Amino acid sequence: MYGKGLIKGLGITIRHFFKPKVTVQYPEQRLPLPDRFYGRPEFYYDKCIACNQCVNACPNKVIKLETETVDKKKVVTNYEFDQQYCLFCGMCEEACPKDAIKFSNDFELTQYHRPDIKMQFVTPEQIEKKKEEIKQAAAAKAAAEAAKAKEAAKENPEGTGKEEA
Amino acid sequence: MENLFVSIASGARTLLESAGLSGGASDFLVMVLKLVGILVYILVSALWLVYMERKVAAYMQCRIGPNRVGPMGLLQTTADIGKLISKEIIIPRCTDKKLFLLGPVLIFMPPLTVFAVAPFGKGMVAIDMNIGVYYFLAVASLSTVIVWLSGWASNNKYSLIGSMRVVAQMVSYEMPLILSIVGVIILTGTLNMSEIIEAQDGVWFILLQPLGFLIYLIAAVAETNRAPFDLVEGESEIICGPFTEYSGMGFAMFFLAEYVNVVLVSVMATTLFLGGWQAPFDFTFIPSWIWFLLKVYIMIFVIMWFRWTYPRIRVDQLMEFGWKVLVPLSIANIFLTGIGKYLYQTIGR
Repeated sequence: MYGKGLIKGLGITIRHFFKPKVTVQYPEQRLPLPDRFYGRPEFYYDKCIACNQCVNACPNKVIKLETETVDKKKVVTNYEFDQQYCLFCGMCEEACPKDAIKFSNDFELTQYHRPDIKMQFVTPEQIEKKKEEIKQAAAAKAAAEAAKAKEAAKENPEGTGKEEA
Repeated sequence: MENLFVSIASGARTLLESAGLSGGASDFLVMVLKLVGILVYILVSALWLVYMERKVAAYMQCRIGPNRVGPMGLLQTTADIGKLISKEIIIPRCTDKKLFLLGPVLIFMPPLTVFAVAPFGKGMVAIDMNIGVYYFLAVASLSTVIVWLSGWASNNKYSLIGSMRVVAQMVSYEMPLILSIVGVIILTGTLNMSEIIEAQDGVWFILLQPLGFLIYLIAAVAETNRAPFDLVEGESEIICGPFTEYSGMGFAMFFLAEYVNVVLVSVMATTLFLGGWQAPFDFTFIPSWIWFLLKVYIMIFVIMWFRWTYPRIRVDQLMEFGWKVLVPLSIANIFLTGIGKYLYQTIGR
């Protein structure tokens, strides 16, 4: 019969009209993201040991790592993540032995200004703090050693000229 | 409630007469008041229908539709029109400038003029013309010329093809549209819209003229250039048809005129087939003008429902359907109605 399909079509649209809607009101409502989602990268300064493995793992050379040696220890002075070239493969995350770089669930990566795309993770305060910590630790160690040496000298005054092993 | 608008009009008249105006002058001013009232209603409803269309479309596609601007997104169209007003009206170099600008100015004229004879409720007709239906059809078909004019003036191949299609489609579907109405006119024996509605006191003409109503509905959708008969605009084929070169408010006028035309054909369908302001089942506690508007918006919803269900048909299918199916059917409908009326009268006598 002519027109049967037309009526069927009208039936389908009217049924959809009364169906619950699937829209998610985005900025207010969000769909849950899986745990392994690769969003905005996060860097934990204190965990980083400046081993350079993430830099080598990155296929796009996104990561730039600069270090400074303070008292025989490497201090990360710059960790730049040029996010516009990142393909979110997660190789850096996999390569890191200390879980210092991680991808978070935040996917809103747009920026108003082009320079903001390049992510700078390290702040000067962090570097200062780290340097201070290293110096303090070295000083404390030196002090402890000195104290130990002094004690050893007290116990057997004969061995003053001899350095302890 | 029932006589709300009627008493406002008569109240305004007595007020004007008591203010010292002559009878004729106050009649004139009341008439202007009525027409301004209709004008405001039409323009507001054009805005509302754009919103309604978007909502209906969204709901049929399992979406929500505009809901950000204003409560429930009600101010969305207002914002859109505000944006369009602020846009530059670009006039391309090789256009016929006068005609190009005349198009959007005139496009609202036929639909707005026609509404003067539309009976919005019991006794609520601005001009009770005894050839109302004829006037309605004659003036409404003028918009063909205006769309053709703007398409021609644009000096663009897509515009020209679009206007050719407008003329072809409008002329071919004007035939079944008018012929389907003839059935109703045979039954009532009048062209006055108020009298046609009064004749539907007991039985609406949709029950006596189901075929006529169906033909009218299809032809009306084609007349308003809406899907599945939106070949005139046919975005995927000819960009936007006759309106391709228009920008800003020029385009918005055509856009809103489309919705005014939808109101127009729905008002006509309500008047002729759905009993106008007559209340079904004697539910007269609801005012007649609310019934009328309710029926009009149900008709509009049906037309929108068509749009979001059916894909566009081809030009040859359009012509074939119009001339080979609708016109013969509507002529058959006239014959059947005439025979039926004759039989009814001879048996009844």
